Parts: sequence; C-alpha cells; structure tokens
Amino acid sequence: MIVLFMICALGIGLLYGMSGIELTFLNFISNHSNIILYILMFSVGISIGMQKGIFSKIKEYHIKIFIIPLGIIAGSFLGGIICSLILKIPIGYGTAITSGMGWYSLAGVTISSLVSAEFGSIAFMSNLMREMFSFILIPFLAGHFNYYTCIAPAGATSEDTTLPIILKYTNEETVVLSVFNGVICSLMVPFLISSCLNMM
Amino acid sequence: MDVIIIMCLGILAGRFLVSRRIRKGNEFISLTCTFLLILSMGITLGRNENLLKDLSSLGLSSLLFFAVPTVLSILIVFFLTQKFMKKKNSSQKNEVDK
Repeated sequence: MIVLFMICALGIGLLYGMSGIELTFLNFISNHSNIILYILMFSVGISIGMQKGIFSKIKEYHIKIFIIPLGIIAGSFLGGIICSLILKIPIGYGTAITSGMGWYSLAGVTISSLVSAEFGSIAFMSNLMREMFSFILIPFLAGHFNYYTCIAPAGATSEDTTLPIILKYTNEETVVLSVFNGVICSLMVPFLISSCLNMM
Repeated sequence: MDVIIIMCLGILAGRFLVSRRIRKGNEFISLTCTFLLILSMGITLGRNENLLKDLSSLGLSSLLFFAVPTVLSILIVFFLTQKFMKKKNSSQKNEVDK
C-alpha cells in the first residue's frame, strides 16, 4: 500500500514537472527538499533510538550478529562496483546507488539531491525493485537456502516492510536477527551513500 | 555528513528524550517527509526535457542495479551463515523435520 502511495507521489511530481504549471506550494517543496530530508533523517533517528530491546539482544548473539548485515553490505557494495563497470559510470555513483539496500525513498532523494535526478531515479527504482522482489524471493529462499538468507534481499527494509513476510516464512530467532539487521543497515545507508559519493 | 549528524541527534532524542507514545506521530512525520521528497524528486525529473528519452535506459540500468547486488548479497549471506552459524542451521533443519 505504502509502495503504491510512493509511486503515486513520483507520478504526480513527474506530471507536474512536465506540465509546466507553476504552483507556489509544490515549487516550495521542490526548492526546499534539503530541509525535508533533514526532518526525515531526524525522524528516522528517533525510530532507531526508540528500539531499546534491540540493543540488549546484541549481548546474546555476540559478534556473530554482524555476519548478516556485513554480508548484505559486502554484496551490495560489490554489486555496485560490477554494475558501474558494466554501465561505465563512476564507481562512487554505482556503489552509492546500491548502498540504499532497498531503502528506495532515502537512496532516491539523497542521490537526487547530491548527484542528479537521473541517478536519483535509478537509485529509487532499483531499490524499490529490491523491496518488491523481496516479497517473492523470501519464501523461495526459506525453502531452498536457509532462514538467515531470507534477510539478504530485504536489506535495510528487514526491520519494517519485509518483516511480516520474514516472520511468516522463518522463525522468531530469524525475526530478531532481521530487526537487528534492519537497524544496522538503516544506520549504514546514509553513511555509505555519503562515503561512496565522497570517493568521487 | 550533515545528514548523519542529524540522524545521530535523532537517535539520541529517541533514546533519551522522546516518549514512546509519539511513535505513531513520528511514523507519520517520516511517511509525510518521504512522500514530499519523492514528489520533489518527481518534479525535478519531470522538468528535465530529456526525461522520456532517458527513461528506457534508466529502466534497464535500474534492473541491473537491483539484480546484481541482490543476488550477491544472497550468495554472500548464505555462504557466511553456512560457515559461521552452522549450529543454527541444524536447529532449522530439525524444525523443518518436525
């Protein structure tokens, strides 16, 4: 539902931009996207800070709890390098796009603000595809791979949108790891995007 | 870098200052900002005169940027969890057997 809502927002924006109509409110939003991004980041920080139970779980799993987010980040980063080489674009841009790890809204708007609307659009669509295809991939991975691997396609969304499907096809232990992974990946997304773009 | 600093300030606020009762309100703010930012991105894209020409290439690029990192993430996580979290795997097998 939320995914459809966001696609509608993109569609409305596209139509407005193409129409040439000038509306003060929409122009204000378009010209002040940085401030909106700051509000979003503060709000995301509050969400992460509120999940107190997650921090205590780290003690139970020790260092192994980092294996899954590490694997996802490594796979996404490596994938960004390969895509950059195939498409002949700067590696910093490619790795920044894949550093979204499914967080299509943040990756799209951040890269759009810091690089260009075209790269922002690629980041938005590719990360949106990652989230949508996760709903198909998770049941398959639960049956043919192992439960932990179900978290891999979800990436940063494993703590929210894809969590219900992980809960349905795996067990409680994997769900805890999934939430933890989502927190770590969500925390890393802005950091990785900035770092990749700073490589330029 | 400013984006990270602001998020860290948000984490501190969420951990020590903000009441858990405002969780719903915070989710609404987050969703509204996401909506407005995507709308803004759409406006910027729509104003680009070469947009329609670029769309076909953007679609294919997006597909590539989705597929390659997703497949690699799956393979790396599978390899790492098989190697380092073997004990957990056997318990999963037992659950399936049940």
